[in-house]
Amino acid sequence: MTEETVQPLIEFKNVSLDYGETKVLKKVDLEIEEGKFYTLLGPSGSGKSTILSLISGRLQPTGGDILIEGKNVNSLPSNQRKVNTVFQNYALFPNMNVYDNVAFGPSIKGFSKKKIDQLVKSMLKLVKLDDFSDREISEISGGQQQRVAIARALANQPKVLLLDEPLSALDYKLRKEMQSELRELQQRLGITFIFVTHDQEEALAMSDWIFVINDGKVEQSGSPVDIYDEPINHFVANFIGEANIVPGVMKEDYLVSFAGKDFKNVDAGMRTNERVEVVIRPEDLDIVVPSRGKLQVTIEDQSFRGDSYEITAIDDAGNEWAVQATNPAKIGQRRGLKFDPEDIHIMRLNESEEDFDARLESYEGED
Amino acid sequence: MKKNKIGNLYLWLVFIVLYVPIFYLITYSFNSGKYMHGWKGFSLIHYCQLWADTRMIEIVVDTLIIAFLSSVLATIIGTFGALWINFAKSQLTKNILLNFNSILLVSPDVIIGASFLIFFTAIGLSLGFLSVLLSHIAFSIPIVVLMVLPRLQEMPVTLTEAAEDLGANFWQVLNKVTLPYISSGIMAGFFMALTYSLDDFAVTFFVTGNGFSTLSVEIYSRARQGISLEINALSAIMFIVSLILVFIYYFISRNGNRKRTPGLEATK
Amino acid sequence: MKKGKLFFAVLYVLWLALFVVVPIALLLFQSLTSESGQLTLNNFVSYFSSGTYLRMTFNSIFYAFLITLITLVISYPTAYLLSQLKNRQFWLLLVILPTWINLLLKTYAFIGLLSRDGTANSFIGLFGISPQQLLFTDSSFVLVSSYIEIPFMILPIFNALNEIDRDLVQASRDLGANSWQTLWRLIIPLSMPGVKSGVQSVFIPSLSLFMITRLIGGNRVITLGTAIEELFLTTQNWHMGSTIGVILIIAMVATMVITRERKKSVLRRGGK
Repeated sequence: MTEETVQPLIEFKNVSLDYGETKVLKKVDLEIEEGKFYTLLGPSGSGKSTILSLISGRLQPTGGDILIEGKNVNSLPSNQRKVNTVFQNYALFPNMNVYDNVAFGPSIKGFSKKKIDQLVKSMLKLVKLDDFSDREISEISGGQQQRVAIARALANQPKVLLLDEPLSALDYKLRKEMQSELRELQQRLGITFIFVTHDQEEALAMSDWIFVINDGKVEQSGSPVDIYDEPINHFVANFIGEANIVPGVMKEDYLVSFAGKDFKNVDAGMRTNERVEVVIRPEDLDIVVPSRGKLQVTIEDQSFRGDSYEITAIDDAGNEWAVQATNPAKIGQRRGLKFDPEDIHIMRLNESEEDFDARLESYEGED
Repeated sequence: MKKNKIGNLYLWLVFIVLYVPIFYLITYSFNSGKYMHGWKGFSLIHYCQLWADTRMIEIVVDTLIIAFLSSVLATIIGTFGALWINFAKSQLTKNILLNFNSILLVSPDVIIGASFLIFFTAIGLSLGFLSVLLSHIAFSIPIVVLMVLPRLQEMPVTLTEAAEDLGANFWQVLNKVTLPYISSGIMAGFFMALTYSLDDFAVTFFVTGNGFSTLSVEIYSRARQGISLEINALSAIMFIVSLILVFIYYFISRNGNRKRTPGLEATK
Repeated sequence: MKKGKLFFAVLYVLWLALFVVVPIALLLFQSLTSESGQLTLNNFVSYFSSGTYLRMTFNSIFYAFLITLITLVISYPTAYLLSQLKNRQFWLLLVILPTWINLLLKTYAFIGLLSRDGTANSFIGLFGISPQQLLFTDSSFVLVSSYIEIPFMILPIFNALNEIDRDLVQASRDLGANSWQTLWRLIIPLSMPGVKSGVQSVFIPSLSLFMITRLIGGNRVITLGTAIEELFLTTQNWHMGSTIGVILIIAMVATMVITRERKKSVLRRGGK
């Protein structure tokens, strides 16, 4: 265990939530620090929104402890927490206009009219809606409603802003725009954002730190690059980006065998001849003439993807490989697959996150 | 085309049948004669008689007071009831409460009247203004609940959650978010209560004593004595008032409609 | 939070108890006691052994049935035609409007219309028919009651028809059904919930309307409602009045059970 110097802003210790027989969360541990952009990424029903509800106080855990700034807040009601939420469907009050929606939190706190006015105006400016304060909610577009929801939550000056799949209702282009705007906003304000999404691309593009949630558990947490490059298991590899996953055997440190051949790689710290799963990303594979390839394959299928071709190839051991290539290939042709040792990622079966981190540290430290 | 014509003809016939008695009544209020047949020429004499009839004016005022007071109180209690039913966690509890709620809505007037009469006598309440007021409140509450509850049920839970998230306590959520959201349902409930009260005859007939009377009861006792064109004059005025009320109600529910309320599904 | 919810509950629960449960319980209690306050079934025994009461009950049910049938026959086509109109909400408002006019005033209008020198007699006089006794007959009671109940039958049927997805009708035509087949096999079955609730809201009041019997039907006791009114307010025999009240409640519950929507059975049929 490393020494804890900074107290985390939010901490989950063994947090569980059951509804009778259904276990929604299974002993979740997580730490949130100040000033970072976090993403809870997972498929629908994985429990990621539940974590958000627990942080905001809409739900109470049935086991474990939730701490905010070191204090146990298990039963602190939501209106007394310094966190605010941007809801999935915005939940803007239909009986108030844009201004009154944003002014809601400050007026509840009993701020003076002048202070409220200042606050609301600066928030609307922040989300670029200065000219919309008198509009009714029904009169503005979905994208603008989104911004009002953000301004309303920020007007309460929270330490943490929770965003529950806020971009899912927007169209593709607007979503892209909002992604970079949210990221910029977070950096400018310097407060913690916790963002929930099921869109891995969104998570990779925005976050400082990602928690991959599945089946009520945190599968893996780390920086986007770490998670993409070193997925801990089958689920994470598949959920984040596209992945070729084939069975293999770790012969010794830095030597793995799959598809009937041995390859040099960069992983270590496993038992000799341990059965593992091998991950290679489609974009790390190149199609070359058979003699230059490390693996010989037959082209099965290909489809055009706008900026690239997605090619499916089958090796002699019967494994299927998805390749992202810039040039087309001919179906039925014999070709070679080229990749580098560092493109090969090894996943041990049923490895816990702690063991995984420890093992990575043990041999990366040797370098 | 041909079928359409027959259809339209049929509809016209139905509408004529629906409105003939009403216009017949109003037309004869302007008859200078004394009967509801044999047109003797235009006159406002029956309106003048009505205006001079202090007993009748008094009864109209009493009726309006009863209607207004009972619908305000029924609206408050009914709205609270709807809020409470909506808080109930299990669907079973909700259904049981709703079934109890609608007992008075489906019960025949005579049953309500008779059982209230027994009740008031049993607790020793003398019949009069208070017994009529209490009865009107009682039979208006369930319709208010039925008008308010759908609005509450269609209100997204996230609105309440958002308000709490922004620091509002229970009462602030109720005041600033919930009540404004369901206001069109509350208004519709109020108007329904108002018409229930103005319209009621049977229940009032049972629980009103000798000293107190409402318009319906008065019309009944006068009509039993025969035709008096003063009643026609009164009905013409009431028709206009009803018309105004209907349009106010229509306007409210249309306004609510914009914010997605159930429309003009008037229920009896 | 808890306190707030409790606050809402108090007045409403008080109402439920005092004005729903207690009065009905008292009515039931009255029906089961004698003048001297003893528990007895005598009231029911005398009800079932009295030819007058039984005949009156049978008549009341028969008239209510007749009124329901007449209003249904008139209202279904009306509701259907209304649902086809462009400005149907406006026309519907015109159907609702008469219900906002005091019941007694509408009844009163018929006293004028149906009287011996009244307009109805003058009208049939044009065809050479001599004036008839229209008022104070059983048929005038049925006529006026039907008139009053028509809007309450049209409304639920209209709502049910209006809810039918237009695409379903298109689909039925697309599959080769003509308009009669579409009406018979699709629209009428789909509008049955509306018909049932219309029947419910016409049949039950028709059992109990006593002012129409008094004013139009000629002061005779021909419905359950009139009997209750007479026993409570004229002869002051509350025990017997409550007994007939209980009979009326039983009739009401029976009507509701018969016209209830049986969701489960629909599901089962759909499952096959």
